[in-house]
Amino acid sequence: MTTIELVPKPATIKKVIEESRDVKSYVLQMNRAQKMAARPGQFVEVSVQGFGEATFAVTRTAKDKTDFTISVKRMGHLTKMLHRAAPGDVVGVRGPYGNSFPVDAWKGNGIVVIGGGIGLAPLRPVIDHILQHRTNFGKLEIIFGARTPDDILYKEDLRIWENDKSIALHTTIDVPFEGWSGRVGVVPVVVKDLAPRPDNKIAIVCGPPIMIKFTAAALRELKWPGNRVYTTLEMKMQCGIGQCGRCNIGEKFICKDGPVFSLDQIPEHAL
Amino acid sequence: MNKWHKMKRTDLQKFVSRLAEKWEVWVPYRADGKWEFGIYDAMKDLDFPESIIHVSLKSLFFPKRRPVAKYEEDSKWSLQAVVPEDRPRIVIGLHPCDVAGIEYMDKVFLKSEHKDAMYEAERERTMLIGMICSEMEDNCHCTDRGLAPDSTRGMDVAFVEADDHYLFKSMTDRGKQVMQSEYLKEVDEKPEKKEWPAGKYAIASPEEFMEMYDDKIWHELSDICLTCGICTYACPTCVCFLVTDEKFKGKGERVTVWDSCQLQSYSRMAGGHNTRKTPASRVRNRTLDKFAYSHLRYGQISCTGCGRCVMVCPLKRSFPQLGARLSERIEEKKKGKAKAGTRSKEA
Repeated sequence: MTTIELVPKPATIKKVIEESRDVKSYVLQMNRAQKMAARPGQFVEVSVQGFGEATFAVTRTAKDKTDFTISVKRMGHLTKMLHRAAPGDVVGVRGPYGNSFPVDAWKGNGIVVIGGGIGLAPLRPVIDHILQHRTNFGKLEIIFGARTPDDILYKEDLRIWENDKSIALHTTIDVPFEGWSGRVGVVPVVVKDLAPRPDNKIAIVCGPPIMIKFTAAALRELKWPGNRVYTTLEMKMQCGIGQCGRCNIGEKFICKDGPVFSLDQIPEHAL
Repeated sequence: MNKWHKMKRTDLQKFVSRLAEKWEVWVPYRADGKWEFGIYDAMKDLDFPESIIHVSLKSLFFPKRRPVAKYEEDSKWSLQAVVPEDRPRIVIGLHPCDVAGIEYMDKVFLKSEHKDAMYEAERERTMLIGMICSEMEDNCHCTDRGLAPDSTRGMDVAFVEADDHYLFKSMTDRGKQVMQSEYLKEVDEKPEKKEWPAGKYAIASPEEFMEMYDDKIWHELSDICLTCGICTYACPTCVCFLVTDEKFKGKGERVTVWDSCQLQSYSRMAGGHNTRKTPASRVRNRTLDKFAYSHLRYGQISCTGCGRCVMVCPLKRSFPQLGARLSERIEEKKKGKAKAGTRSKEA
């Protein structure tokens, strides 16, 4: 029996988590007892039958690899349909695809995680990995920005990270908001204020395109070399396997050669 | 020693009819002055153009619309993969540039970590009986792309028109299957060797093209392109696609459909962000993809010199001309630099 790579395998929604006003997370389990061993930074293609498929970062993998989580921001047709899905519903899954954050090569380094909105989703597995292998890494700093307090994701994780003495967590919102007493300011500005130093550190950045662009510029100003700053690029992938063509940056395909790149691997205009 | 075999012109139709008893046979047919591959029909006269077949045979291996799975609309999940076709097939009359197009598609779909099983099935079921060109047409420029109109590479059987007959020769074991025919007689004759002229669209090297990313010329080039995308459909190596679900009367299909980097919607993401919003950025993407990115990815540029994009272009000025114009600009820049270099030395 030939396997057609573009045909997804069924997975059942085990749990739906309301993260924010327009983001829900879905814990998925492959139907035929397949495990899903996504490395931090890898992604999957998720289908709703009749509505096609879209790319989602795997934002958490169970320790025994029997289930995994994606976070879905309501944006277009497919995500609207996904937002209507409930536990027990079946979706299609292909993957995991793509390269991953080279966490093994980062041993001994401190990690600065910089996420904007839903951009925290592909970075969370790196945080999970660090927390599971805490002694392998130095200081963990997390800078997370959301548009408003209502857009803050992963509230339970944030509480845990907040209480973890080994983590410096900075949560910020873009503009002042009634009842918010925390930090205010867009991520690139907050990064400049906090001015993390690049020595023995790795920074990972993901968020909306404009946030990545200006955060990269802020880090460059702070003298971070390109090979110590990583991002995962949220460009329009479709097939996930380097064939449909649309996610290219020059000769590279984000889905196949990425989605994780260090800044020195991609031209500045691509950000 | 494998020799050429002679076939009387009047036997060609009989020969092909015999093949069609066992195989699904595709041959070129002319409609409204245009040549296009179609399923062989013994009732129609058979003829072969001396050169290019206007519609590329890309769709025989990678159809415009290709179901990969089917589902019942009223179910939550019933998606089932389709079964790839395996009926043996022969395509007769393709040219060396068509083979080059297939070789490029092989690189995209087969030399991949996740190969395309449906494309592979189409390749495996198909024998290629290729025709050596007897002339180069106006827009033909395979000789500018390192190919030759008389190359037999990649063909299972090659044939060529001679004075009042055809000459056939098997190039692979698979090809030998059709050579056992009462219409073919082994001869000492060989096809006449010809000198082929250069085309009109010589281009710079992939490395030189890569240097042009930030050049202003893309605005000039995009001024003479409608970014209508027809060239991408005509191109034998443009295989970009979209994956989507289509429903009709309760039955649904997941399909791949041809897409085009020249269309604005191609790079538009959910939420509206578009990495290639301007015509200049799209013209740059396709030009560099044809002449440079393809080379960096697969070691082969994705222009075969067939000239089909020029034939279908509403302005009759497509990527070969853009590539050639760009190459002129590269030359101008080189000369400018050389001059600037000389001046700075003098200073």
